[in-house]
Amino acid sequence: MKSIKRCQLVMTLFLLGFLAGLGVLTARIYKDAPFYITHSDNYRLGRVYDRNKDVLFDGTKKIDKPDNYLIDVGNLIGDDKGQMENTLVAQNIDKLSNYSFNSGIENKNGKAAIYTTLDHTANRAAYDAFMGADGCIAAYNYKTGELLVCTSLPNIDPRHGYGGIENMKSGTLMSKAMYGTVPGSTQKVSTVITAMEILGQDELFAKSYSCGGYYMNGTGGKIDCHNSWGHGTQNIQQAVENSCNPFFAQLVEDGDMPLESIVEIYTRLGYNVSSGETDNEEENDEEKEQEYIDIDGIQCFKASTTLTDTADFATQWGCIGQGETLASPIQLMMWQSAIANGTGKMTMPYLIEKVTDVEGNVTETAKTEYSEQLFSKETAASVKQILLTNGANHYQYSIPGYKVAIKSGTAQVKHGAEENALLVGFVDDKNFPIAFCVVLENKYSTPAVAENIVTTMLNSLSR
Amino acid sequence: MSGALSYLLSCIFVVAVHGSMLLNVYSNGNYSSINDVIGLSAAVILLDAVYFIIMPFFKHRTYAVDFMLLLILNMSMIFQSCFGGVHFDTKHFITIIAALVSCRIGYMLCRNHRWIQTKKKFIWAGIGILLVVILLFTGSRSMWIDLGFMSIQPSEFIKPLLVLACATSIAEQQNRKKVWGFNVVYDNLIIFGITAVVILFQWWCRDLGSIPTFAAIYASCFFMRICYPKAKFSKKTLIIAGSVLAVAAIIGIILAPAYVKARLFADIWSNPDEDGYQQTKALISIAEGGWFGKGPGKGFLHEVFAYESDIVFATISEEWGLLFALMTVLMLVLIVAMPLVNPPRSYYHGTMCAGVCAAFTMQMALNIFGSCNMIPFTGVTLPFISAGGSSMVTSGLMIGMIIAAQSPVFANPTNKKNKKKHKQQKRRTV
Amino acid sequence: MESAVYAAVLLDICAIVLIFVSYVEKKAGARRWSKTSDDMELTDEIHVFHLECDEILIGRHASADIRIQDMSVSRYHAMLNVTDGKWMITDIGSKSGVFVNGEPVRHVRLYEGDVITLGNRNLIFRKRRVHK
Repeated sequence: MKSIKRCQLVMTLFLLGFLAGLGVLTARIYKDAPFYITHSDNYRLGRVYDRNKDVLFDGTKKIDKPDNYLIDVGNLIGDDKGQMENTLVAQNIDKLSNYSFNSGIENKNGKAAIYTTLDHTANRAAYDAFMGADGCIAAYNYKTGELLVCTSLPNIDPRHGYGGIENMKSGTLMSKAMYGTVPGSTQKVSTVITAMEILGQDELFAKSYSCGGYYMNGTGGKIDCHNSWGHGTQNIQQAVENSCNPFFAQLVEDGDMPLESIVEIYTRLGYNVSSGETDNEEENDEEKEQEYIDIDGIQCFKASTTLTDTADFATQWGCIGQGETLASPIQLMMWQSAIANGTGKMTMPYLIEKVTDVEGNVTETAKTEYSEQLFSKETAASVKQILLTNGANHYQYSIPGYKVAIKSGTAQVKHGAEENALLVGFVDDKNFPIAFCVVLENKYSTPAVAENIVTTMLNSLSR
Repeated sequence: MSGALSYLLSCIFVVAVHGSMLLNVYSNGNYSSINDVIGLSAAVILLDAVYFIIMPFFKHRTYAVDFMLLLILNMSMIFQSCFGGVHFDTKHFITIIAALVSCRIGYMLCRNHRWIQTKKKFIWAGIGILLVVILLFTGSRSMWIDLGFMSIQPSEFIKPLLVLACATSIAEQQNRKKVWGFNVVYDNLIIFGITAVVILFQWWCRDLGSIPTFAAIYASCFFMRICYPKAKFSKKTLIIAGSVLAVAAIIGIILAPAYVKARLFADIWSNPDEDGYQQTKALISIAEGGWFGKGPGKGFLHEVFAYESDIVFATISEEWGLLFALMTVLMLVLIVAMPLVNPPRSYYHGTMCAGVCAAFTMQMALNIFGSCNMIPFTGVTLPFISAGGSSMVTSGLMIGMIIAAQSPVFANPTNKKNKKKHKQQKRRTV
Repeated sequence: MESAVYAAVLLDICAIVLIFVSYVEKKAGARRWSKTSDDMELTDEIHVFHLECDEILIGRHASADIRIQDMSVSRYHAMLNVTDGKWMITDIGSKSGVFVNGEPVRHVRLYEGDVITLGNRNLIFRKRRVHK
């Protein structure tokens, strides 16, 4: 009867309310269980492999390898201790979850793993080639984007733990390739690209400036050349090979090179260009937050410089690679890919080849991605030719066996107290498409030589 | 014939469920000696058998709820006996038998609505006595009376009494008096007063978890009254009641002590070792258990306070799997949903069923959702599954009410026939 | 792990069996209830109203168990009660009153064959007949 039906309706409402809550609860538990489990004492992470299935990180047990076995990639791979945040494991910790609600915790048989593109052997070879000097080296396949080598010194084997962290050398816990450094003359590659974009190949090659060891610029600043005797009159090819500072200062100051165009192309290349005006400095700071290149969650410093006036001392030095210019080795390496590809588009590097979940199913595979068009194909071809000629003329013997396009650099740091040696370039070989960047810090204090490091690494990669 | 067949079928399946659970304990359980498993199995199966044999002597009309009660109680026995390693939980076994007995008492008390409606003053007096007991013995910040060998939670016993008070007052709706322009039913005022006093007492005791249960019982009673024939709840009354509730809720939130507010808006994961210790551990253990659990007795949650009562859902989830825990809860839902299949036939019984349903769902919601951090965590027991004598006995009483609602008492109609004929003849002569 | 799944499946089956048992009991209960309440029904000449409940409200209102759409019938007119096979009718404050066999009543027992008058409508209280 109706009255009893109404009574049943009240009960149904109560029960349906409860069942709906139960449904929500189940869905929530199912969704959030991987988060809950991270607080469990029994929870262990999965493994990280290099491209040859060498284990670089294992959450379930200690890797049974000699001491310092992982010292070449320690601060890139990292671990789950929370000490190093900008590392592969810390940024991708959820992908290593050896847990699913369906199968529970699988510490021993879990197949959760990250297969990286790194070549541990080549990393190790490059690491050893530094002979204990500080610095970093990065190399990747500019066709596919696989990051093959990325090591920096000083470094740490995460298996040691972090005892005595206060006595560690600064930079131990960060992969230096991801952070800004003074690019030195390798910056001239960007300036050549800029000039090529603005003037075109014919006009740029038609320009020549003379170098007498120094150059007094339009605002009265003195731009020194590393060769105090001067290089005489040079065209762009010779200037790149000589790495002549006065040439580039005059090029930047040239009336055919308007500041707006330079700023525009630098910005397109990825520089964080600040105008350097003091009035609205705060405003600028707020507007231009630091941007990063994202390599599978790892934040990589982009590049920044200050451009105020083409005749300005700081601006000219900025375009030569000193002053306020900063760029990360990864970024320098990526520009090389845009030249090497001949397309004017950078190949975006990646570190994770594929990810498997706890049951061994592949959940993620890497895809090659490219940047926006940074500069025209013609510019790419011309700059590639300049760098190849430089490589053929000067590095044939120091980096034997490879057809390399290369630009060297020397960066003064610590107010000129130390000089870092840099080399950026790429191997122009369809079957061995490697772009690289090496930074050797305080080059006069070590027997290590940047060219040798590159050679060792390339030999190891091509073995 | 079909009755006997379905009775037999029920027996077989109830035993089969217990058997399969015991098999799981045997194959996956954490026990040091096989004798523990054998002892537990013997007790469970024996209780099943004894109950099956004596059940036909109860002579009521429906047995499905009885079967379900026995099924849940022995499941609870198996759960509780496995926490932290298989053993025989004697205390829980005794409370289970107490629950079965109290279910019988509840059935006997409540099935005759004519009789109990004449006794409603005793129900009110019973609630009053319990309140006095709370006032005198528990103290302002506790809900327990410690008798040395056991603890009693008097507020639990108010729940079935309040359900009964609501049910017995429902027929009074037709006796309305006009006072100052309002249609007043004295019973409604009394029930409202009782509920208000009970809730105030719970507030005083800081037994905040019980308040929603009482409120739910009252709300179900309120709904039933609106639905009751000729209740005539005018819009005026509804608006007044609604606004009073709203004001009370606002005042409650404003006056709520800081720790209640902290509970309402706490992020348990930011500091898992302090505020939300139990909830975080509960959620972690549910996550570790997954769908199918770690195996009886193999969990870690039994090291956390109130593992056998307040966060029992998580403990079962960890050891038996979320699937099994959810199904256990569904069995609890099913037992209070039985009046939907086999409906009561009078409004008194219907109100009783709705009250029991409200009390059970509210308790289950507070316990399960609270321990899983969906709502603030309050120390409420899960009916029949949690350990605890008071909760077990009162839950048994309430299930007794459901059985009573399905098997109301009627005298043998054959006697009446003679009388009727006699009277009819008498009338015709007039 | 498997045995936990078996237990879960058995629990499911058991729940279904018990619901089925409850359904069987419902049918038996309905039969028994009809028997104990003397299996009566109310009828005007057109409709037949089954009496399946302990308390039955007769009135014009949509929520009434037996709804008589006639303006002479109050919205909540009369209440039928049954206890132990005894049927009682109660006037619950109707405007036009309740008459049994022509006599105005407030609370009276009903017998088979009684004629109940509510407003302009007559209802016959009789033994239930099997309808097909």
